[in-house]
Amino acid sequence: MSTESAPLFRGTGLVKEYSRSRGIFKQRTVFRAVDDVTLEVHRGETLALVGESGSGKSTTARLAARLVDVTSGTVEFEGQDVTHLKGSDLRDFRSAVQVIFQDPYSSLNPKHSVERLVTAPLVYQKRKIPGGARAFARDLMARVGLNPDHSERYPSQFSGGQAQRIGIARALAAGPRLVICDEAVSALDVSVQAQVINLLRELQADEGFGYLFIAHDLAVVRQIATRVAVMHQGRIVETGPRDVVFDHPQDDYTKTLLQAVPRIDPEWDRRRREAQQARGAGAIATATEEEGR
Amino acid sequence: MTGNARTPLLSVRDLTIGFPTANGTTSVVRGLGFDVPRGGAVGIVGESGSGKSMTSLAVMGLLPKGGTATGSIVFDGRELIGLPDRVMRDVRGDRIAMIFQDPLSSLNPYYKVGVQIAEAYRAHRPGVSRREARKVAIEAMDRVRIRDAAERVDHYPHQFSGGMRQRIMIAMALSMEPDLIIADEPTTALDVTVQAQILALLDEIREETGAGLMLITHDLAVVSEVTDHIVVMRDGELVEQGAAEQIFCDPQADYTQRLLDAVPRIDDEIGELRTTDVIVVPGSTRTTTTEERP
Repeated sequence: MSTESAPLFRGTGLVKEYSRSRGIFKQRTVFRAVDDVTLEVHRGETLALVGESGSGKSTTARLAARLVDVTSGTVEFEGQDVTHLKGSDLRDFRSAVQVIFQDPYSSLNPKHSVERLVTAPLVYQKRKIPGGARAFARDLMARVGLNPDHSERYPSQFSGGQAQRIGIARALAAGPRLVICDEAVSALDVSVQAQVINLLRELQADEGFGYLFIAHDLAVVRQIATRVAVMHQGRIVETGPRDVVFDHPQDDYTKTLLQAVPRIDPEWDRRRREAQQARGAGAIATATEEEGR
Repeated sequence: MTGNARTPLLSVRDLTIGFPTANGTTSVVRGLGFDVPRGGAVGIVGESGSGKSMTSLAVMGLLPKGGTATGSIVFDGRELIGLPDRVMRDVRGDRIAMIFQDPLSSLNPYYKVGVQIAEAYRAHRPGVSRREARKVAIEAMDRVRIRDAAERVDHYPHQFSGGMRQRIMIAMALSMEPDLIIADEPTTALDVTVQAQILALLDEIREETGAGLMLITHDLAVVSEVTDHIVVMRDGELVEQGAAEQIFCDPQADYTQRLLDAVPRIDDEIGELRTTDVIVVPGSTRTTTTEERP
């Protein structure tokens, strides 16, 4: 029952408490991991949820994906309250919302072939695989930039970046409308990370889905986010369009966070680009000279 | 300090590190050479598998079992390659100290942190009493800005946060007053605000003690802020090295150029990030990677 005006995803007043019983008198201590968080993700946009360890960003992602239940608050998807969905309704929700995790190897069963891994979401949901498993897997692999001829291979036969592409292919299999990326590029080498960021952006442009992008790396967030929400001690302390949050942060914690990020001197970057251009021009000049001979 | 003040503190030449495999020896570092000047800070950067961590372990004489280093590693005028274990143990920890990425796995959870710093100190300073060693431990914790050091010296590792544990590791390294500190991804596991504190601390300590620093990291932004000389490695080989400013402003190697292009910048959205290995797959409009290796 999607209504055009409703956002793709909306979490309102989300609270998650963990309680522990301690000692013989069972004194309960309550830890509030997520404290009254409200956020929205629209179609085709990326909301980045940033914060340091223990800020509650990953728990918020799990609440959004209905992987853990809220203590209070409501989760809405396409205008529908999904906070307490069960059974087949929850399964339908889960095919519309997919999660990509940080460590590609530990989230992929090492004994399953890529074909089995990427078709698994459909098998779990007892859905028919369109065009058969082989053709379906090959198509998905091509979409994430993997060689379709490797559909019989196992996760250990792939590099970290490729394994993350398998994770992305698996998320795409169910035809999601919201994709939750939980530190999806954090464990990757910088050049591979750049490739995966590019891939995520291309897929979004093609498919129009919304991303809830959980990350601690603010430089990565600057490359991919439409809007940014900053979390600290379970609460969202600041939220806004990406460039506003980065260029004119209002909250003290956001300011501290941004100032702490190590950065390459922009002046050095500028000089490098100039040197690069000069060298490029030089190379062309040499090439023309040689042609002239 | 012995040795000529004009010679570098550490001088690595033609370093090759090999491991035996079923098909003969595989070298993970080949023909590497660089210097760490006295009081200088050198950054060794590279992606995973570049051999940067193996290089630091070779300097410490801590290569994993079966690993062999050939070439030359001269520290303060003394050749380290070929030194007997017994002698190397005196250099290691005493003159050269190492800080690892994960402080929790380097600290013993069963002992108070003060005891661990004191024991490390006593191992290198025979004849020092427990009481004196404890005093050194408190001083060292004080120096890494742990508040109430006299009290916290009796706490266990789990009672400290990640950043505090890393401070304890640095305190342990500093208690010997080493001439060279090797830090292998010292802030990779830490939050960004804590990282900033630890990097500032390393800077202050170098200024106070005049120790040299060899920083191993994958993070180009970190080395750009901390070190003055940079060594770029890839697949076990030296790509290029030079002053930090030169590497960042006018890199000579194509690989360095592409690596710098791939780093996401916080100040700016660069659009399509350029990457190190890009080819166009036939029959697809999408550019993709060749990560497959034979």
